Amino acid sequence: MNKPAPKPRPVPRPTENTRFFWDAARRGRLALQYDPDAGRYQFWPRAISTATGRRNLEWREASGRGMVYSYTVTHVPTAGFEDRTPYIVGLIELDEKVRIIGNIVGVAPGDVAIGMRVRVVFETLSDDIDYFAFEPDSG
Amino acid sequence: MARNFLAAQDVCIVAYGETRIDRRTGRTAYELAAEVAEQLFAGTGLKPGGIDGVTFTVPLSECANPFWSNYATDYLGITPRWLQTSDIGGASAIGNVARAAMALQNELCETVMLIGADAPSSKWSAVYGSYRNEFWEPTGIQGPPGAFGLLMNRYCAQYELDFAGLGALAVAQRNGAVVNENAYERFRKPITVDDYLTSRAVSTPLRLLDSVMFCDGANGLVMMRTDRARELGFENRVYPFAYSEITNFACAEQTPDITETGFSVAGPEALAKAGMSPADIAMFHPYDDFLIAVMLKLEQIGFCERGRGSQFLRDTDISPTGALPINTGGGQIACGQPGLAGGGVNLVEAVRQLMGEAGERQVPDPANALVTGIGVIPYGRSWGSSNALVLVN
Repeated sequence: MNKPAPKPRPVPRPTENTRFFWDAARRGRLALQYDPDAGRYQFWPRAISTATGRRNLEWREASGRGMVYSYTVTHVPTAGFEDRTPYIVGLIELDEKVRIIGNIVGVAPGDVAIGMRVRVVFETLSDDIDYFAFEPDSG
Repeated sequence: MARNFLAAQDVCIVAYGETRIDRRTGRTAYELAAEVAEQLFAGTGLKPGGIDGVTFTVPLSECANPFWSNYATDYLGITPRWLQTSDIGGASAIGNVARAAMALQNELCETVMLIGADAPSSKWSAVYGSYRNEFWEPTGIQGPPGAFGLLMNRYCAQYELDFAGLGALAVAQRNGAVVNENAYERFRKPITVDDYLTSRAVSTPLRLLDSVMFCDGANGLVMMRTDRARELGFENRVYPFAYSEITNFACAEQTPDITETGFSVAGPEALAKAGMSPADIAMFHPYDDFLIAVMLKLEQIGFCERGRGSQFLRDTDISPTGALPINTGGGQIACGQPGLAGGGVNLVEAVRQLMGEAGERQVPDPANALVTGIGVIPYGRSWGSSNALVLVN
């Protein structure tokens, strides 16, 4: 049996709703959906506010700063992550009071901690997609 | 509180079936469904023409077919007058018991076959939409183990997690699989707490022995109205007695405590409907995709305080003859998880116990069982669906 070729890291396929997010990412900015009626952000992006049930949403560039709400050190890699093991996946609570899952880079697995301050960084996945990750934010 | 539509015990379970659980069998969900259906026909004396209601759990291995339940009932020679496929994952098995009860009570059908059959270790056809392509898969998160790694680590930050307590659960469930001839053969040997503690990290702090492994298999039940079961001579009856279900607990909250789950709602509600407290439960058959899910359920249903689940597991005899028998047949972690038919592993074991047919792992004279289901791994929370079913005999 032939060994199957390794699968590459999945690359997002933007939708009508998420185009702004990925355009902002290419400029090195993290964008979040904001619901002006409820006065709050939501993540992940979708075409309706989960607070009001209305589609009245706007995109805002966010601070890109937050803290590690939880994290896990991954020892069994997914597609495209084989050469990074072990790598950190974080659940980050942004200062805008939403949570986002992303890699935590620039810190050894043994040195990451819940409560640690982080800020967004981007890595290029394709010609069209820069993907967010987080690194320690010393201030 | 809502009316308990199961209080009258006017519907019952009269038969159960289960195939052996095995890995990479090369068999299809259709073939596995046929094997368990044959058991259910033989156990009831019914033929395909005698079944007029059917429930399924949508299989990972066949979910690309949007007409799964049509194809599968046609395959089995059944002409349903009521047909239900549930897609709340591992919550579907007991969810279908509640749905079948409602169909029977409302006379949409007379005899329901409830089947879970899946073969994800042989064939995979699931493709997820929504946030998955853009915000989940490119992060390298290791699927359910990654999500549970995040959940466990957060729990560790808020409470004291004694991993030896989870190890005690792993050991007890393995002991169940050792005496369960349907368990995946490779798992039918005992392990120690130390084996658990030293098993390799998958997605920290989650270890290999915290986790289920995808296998192939099928399980099922037959349900009918109680008056009809009496007429037909089914003497060994098990009654669904109380049920509660919740999906997407706290999903519109942006920064919830992710250690708090839908079982904080569904668990106490099911018990209240049954007029029971946790101390009244004779045995617990919780859906076990990961050990910590069982522990969180113990806390949130009310068997112990928040934050004390691992100590409870460490200090309680959870064997078949213990104070609170848990997953006596090994559960999914020790038997192998037959994909989205997995919820039926816990459910069928509870029914087998209540019918007094569990052999050397039989719980002495159990009066009732609490069975739970878990469905779907959501984004940055615990799980999607939580449900709880009280069974009595």
